Amino acid sequence: MLPVRAVIVAADMLTPYGKGVESCFNALMEGRSAVAPLTRFSAIEFPTSIAATIPDLVYHGEKTIVMQMFERLFPAPIPPDSALILATTKGEIDLLEMNLLGLATEADDSRLDKLLSKVAVLADVSGKATVLSAACTSSSAALARAASLIRSGKEESVLVAACDAVTEFIYAGFSSLMALDSSPAKPFDKGRQGLSLGEGAGYVLVMSDERAKREGRPILAEIAGWGMADDANHMTGPSRESEGLINAISRALVSASTDQTEIDFISAHGTGTNYNDEMEMRAFTALFGSRKRPVYSIKGGSGHTMGAAGLFETLIAIEALKRGSVPPTVNHVNCDDDAMGWVSSTPVSLDSPGTALVTNSGFSGINTALILKLNAGGNW
Amino acid sequence: MNVSVIAAGWVTSHGYGTLKSREEQVFAEGETIYSAAKSSIFTRPVRNFGRLDRLSRITLATVALALKDAGIEASPEKKVDVGIIGTNSTGSLETDCDFFRDYLDNGRKLARANLFIYTLPSSPLGEASIHFGLKGALLYTAYGEDPLKSLLSTSALMIEAGEAGMMLAGMTSGDEGLYFLLGEGEGISSVSALLELLDTDSDISTVVTKARKLTRLV
Repeated sequence: MLPVRAVIVAADMLTPYGKGVESCFNALMEGRSAVAPLTRFSAIEFPTSIAATIPDLVYHGEKTIVMQMFERLFPAPIPPDSALILATTKGEIDLLEMNLLGLATEADDSRLDKLLSKVAVLADVSGKATVLSAACTSSSAALARAASLIRSGKEESVLVAACDAVTEFIYAGFSSLMALDSSPAKPFDKGRQGLSLGEGAGYVLVMSDERAKREGRPILAEIAGWGMADDANHMTGPSRESEGLINAISRALVSASTDQTEIDFISAHGTGTNYNDEMEMRAFTALFGSRKRPVYSIKGGSGHTMGAAGLFETLIAIEALKRGSVPPTVNHVNCDDDAMGWVSSTPVSLDSPGTALVTNSGFSGINTALILKLNAGGNW
Repeated sequence: MNVSVIAAGWVTSHGYGTLKSREEQVFAEGETIYSAAKSSIFTRPVRNFGRLDRLSRITLATVALALKDAGIEASPEKKVDVGIIGTNSTGSLETDCDFFRDYLDNGRKLARANLFIYTLPSSPLGEASIHFGLKGALLYTAYGEDPLKSLLSTSALMIEAGEAGMMLAGMTSGDEGLYFLLGEGEGISSVSALLELLDTDSDISTVVTKARKLTRLV
């Protein structure tokens, strides 16, 4: 019996670039950044006041930012029996803000399990529902869990929905960590000074290849392997040895029954902070050696969309596989020494790429790695 | 593959204990899990323990008991291939309120980084990973129903699929906590036997009572 494959059959995303994967991918290819001056709330007291936000959402209005985003994505052609994994870090934290600012609502309404129920209703799915939160790896970890459920035969169809919003709570928090660059983030650049926050929501429908064929659904890509590992090192700083990310990638390669030589390019977490980018390049160098692969980060363009980042980056990587072209790292001008020969400020064309590696890392030293394969052999 | 319950640690309002070694300590008058953790549970001091949020402190104490029950001496210098998956009923709500209230009290000019870090529901698990050197997967989950059963099933699946060597799976609620250590091979019982014992929406004390039946099954 052939092993069950976990395949992506439908997806959509809403980012500051607009709705859909193409709007984001095209903007990245043009080197356009969505990071702009913040108008949603006053940030004049903070060292910086820029972020990538979706312009026409109402803040502290009748609906939360993330629910307004999801209402633009759902309904969608999702089988009602699908399980649901909601990936987020802070979900509807604007409800808690409103409560503490005296604008009605209960702080308790900001709980992630309450958002889970709302998303299940909006997406019209009745399968087992789970919130998964693993800092900035939340949505890539959720995709890994979805793929695992499919491969093990526990589920046939899993909807992964992801979201996070730029709110005053989150902006104040990242400002307090001194983590924000005063200009749009410059991943892997010598002059990088921190990250830029971004926001968005998206979904990916993961199915068994058998069911996808049975229902005649187009297969966008396979989640062929995944790995998760922790640095067990520091709450906010990555490991100086990069062992967590190295472990996560190594596990993903084993899970995909492949090795480094098959990886055509790497979608890195690439936040633009000194420590993160350094840690990632150290891991890639340790694993790929002199066989440098194109590495890019989308966060100079989209901003760091926190819990939703892995899902967006997965969809951009699939688009890059399809088009045979890797987007540039936006705002990357003066390449850091350790990223030289890996990271580019211009698009990189590839000859029929088939396999991509997507990595994410987050607070608490969490690391995830996903291996995506295109339908290269046409043997679905 | 046979995934088993290797060990467990628990803390309730009355005391704390372990499953495999069947140890149980009732709190003395005036004693709390936090004073007991410092004096009797941790084998080495937890950095800034008193300044951590409540969820992190109860998670650290419960995980310490589970690892002790398994005879695992984990530390940052001696990292182990153990992952951790945890849940609770309110996520980081308590710290969320503390953080934003503090920010408002400071005239919306200054936020405290050491509070913000714990507004991630996964942060208590991160504290445990760092202190005990747990280098496996780390996930916070919340479920619409059957939280403990769901995360035990998820952990078992991760071990079966080779995604983790061992998994700590548990929950906290207020000042109570319960963590199971799951792994391959012989243990106190199979995970499926534990799942059969558990009801939907049981509180931690009830689960502890039921789980202790497992030790009598051996």
